[in-house]
Amino acid sequence: MTTAGWIFVSISWTAITGLCIFCFSRIFAKRRRS
Amino acid sequence: MADRTRVHPHGTERWASKLGVILAVAGSAVGLGNFLRFPVQAAQNGGGAFMIPYFVALLLLGIPLSIVEWSIGRYGGTHGHNTAAGAFQAMWKWRGAKYLGLVGVFGPWVIFLYYIFIESWTLAYSYFAMAGLYQQAASPAAMAGFLHTFQGVGEAGASSLGTAYFFFLITFALNLVVMAGGIQKGIEFVSKVFLPVLFLFAAVLVIRIFSLGAPNPAEPAWNVVNGLGYLWNPDFSALSNSRTWLAAAGQILFTLSVGIGSIVTYASYLHKDDDVVLSSTTAVGMNEFAEVILGGCLVIPAAFAFFGPAQMTEVAKSGSFNLGFVTMPLVLGGLPFGQLFGCLWFLLLFLAGITSSISLAQPVIAFFQNVYGFSRRKAVIAFGAASFLLAQPAVFWLGKGAVDEMDFWGGTVCLVLFGLMEVILFAWIFGMDRGWKEIVRGAEMRLHPAFKWIIKYVTPAYLIFVLGFWLYDNAKPVIEMHAVDPANRPYVLATRGMLVGLFLVLAVTMREALKRHRVIKELQP
Repeated sequence: MTTAGWIFVSISWTAITGLCIFCFSRIFAKRRRS
Repeated sequence: MADRTRVHPHGTERWASKLGVILAVAGSAVGLGNFLRFPVQAAQNGGGAFMIPYFVALLLLGIPLSIVEWSIGRYGGTHGHNTAAGAFQAMWKWRGAKYLGLVGVFGPWVIFLYYIFIESWTLAYSYFAMAGLYQQAASPAAMAGFLHTFQGVGEAGASSLGTAYFFFLITFALNLVVMAGGIQKGIEFVSKVFLPVLFLFAAVLVIRIFSLGAPNPAEPAWNVVNGLGYLWNPDFSALSNSRTWLAAAGQILFTLSVGIGSIVTYASYLHKDDDVVLSSTTAVGMNEFAEVILGGCLVIPAAFAFFGPAQMTEVAKSGSFNLGFVTMPLVLGGLPFGQLFGCLWFLLLFLAGITSSISLAQPVIAFFQNVYGFSRRKAVIAFGAASFLLAQPAVFWLGKGAVDEMDFWGGTVCLVLFGLMEVILFAWIFGMDRGWKEIVRGAEMRLHPAFKWIIKYVTPAYLIFVLGFWLYDNAKPVIEMHAVDPANRPYVLATRGMLVGLFLVLAVTMREALKRHRVIKELQP
């Protein structure tokens, strides 16, 4: 696994995980409010 | 005029919760392709560099199309329509609009007809794994022979199809049971249970594969991390090849279940002010998690650790199904508790399959309810009977090219065509200003205004590029059956005729049903 490979893995995984966390936090925050 | 396709609206069905619809749409998107197709596409198209066109396509094609489909579906639902045919008519007063929307009913039905058979293989193989029935096949050739005999395409021909047919019947019945339960007690319940279990199974398998290290002590470089490198090490020269960009766009369309019609139908059961932006983005995020993170950590790293870099190119070239049904059983079968992990792998694929196949069935059932005025029970029975008959070519003519033919029309042509039609309808005919209001209504998550421009110009242009390039490359040879053995051409032609007949039957019966409804309405005082 090259450094460039690790960079691509890290960026992709972080972006996707971040998107999921962001979306679910918004959904659960909305649920708590209502 | 806008309500002309609303013959007998059974529009009282609704999702019980927001999470339910998100899981249902994510379940529709997370399918066999997430675990089998994506890793092969990435490995063959530049590795890590593939993620550049992949994310570009996600941003410019996948997310905008997904939001548009959710919005069209919700708009149709508020006007009493649960299918693309009705939603298109509600958005566009032209009489032919409903026939264009019919592609969003026909397409998923065609995919369902062969997908259900493939789904049944995963159920059968989970049983085979647990019972140790394929353990004696110790080489790729022997495992491929086992698969071909099971599929009825081996030397014994269709006479060896008995087991496959038995599991096909079970899978078919399971799908109908879920559909008979309706939106809340069927689709939503199954999605809420199966999708978390699917993620759990995938996580267990990822942990198991990453604990392998280097399984062959004589070859320490054959390890899982280098396997991950096989998938992720970027080859930037691939970016100058237009086929890489086309493959990435195709993967995004296939994986997100956009352009099929299922999301339109699922979103039609939303309330008027439900947030489509957040729901759509969450479903996309879940699908990407399953595909890029979980899917990318399973097949390729495991196969690399067992077969090494030299054989890996051959393995990747052998195609998605070979990876799933030949390579993975061999890899997992060699581990301690191999039968259990083999079973877990195929159950994972089965759960991914059934949450997708029910989403393919729902647009057709909703069509029967909306247009023919059937109750859900009657619609499920009619759908089951018709689908059972129409799925027989996929089962018995698999080796003759029937599934490839159905996949070409239902899973590729209809998909890109419907995606293009809906984004043009939404942005250009319904109007982007009205469309934007429709998107942001009830949206808690602010969508960047740049998406207005992307939806209107970039997404249609991208789809035209994909469709044009792809038709230029494939249409003539496929239509003229260049790759089909002359002996198999009658079977392929018969399958093609069946698909044309199906579309015509849907179109004519819809027209007659609407005509009858108009007469009844006019006779009413």
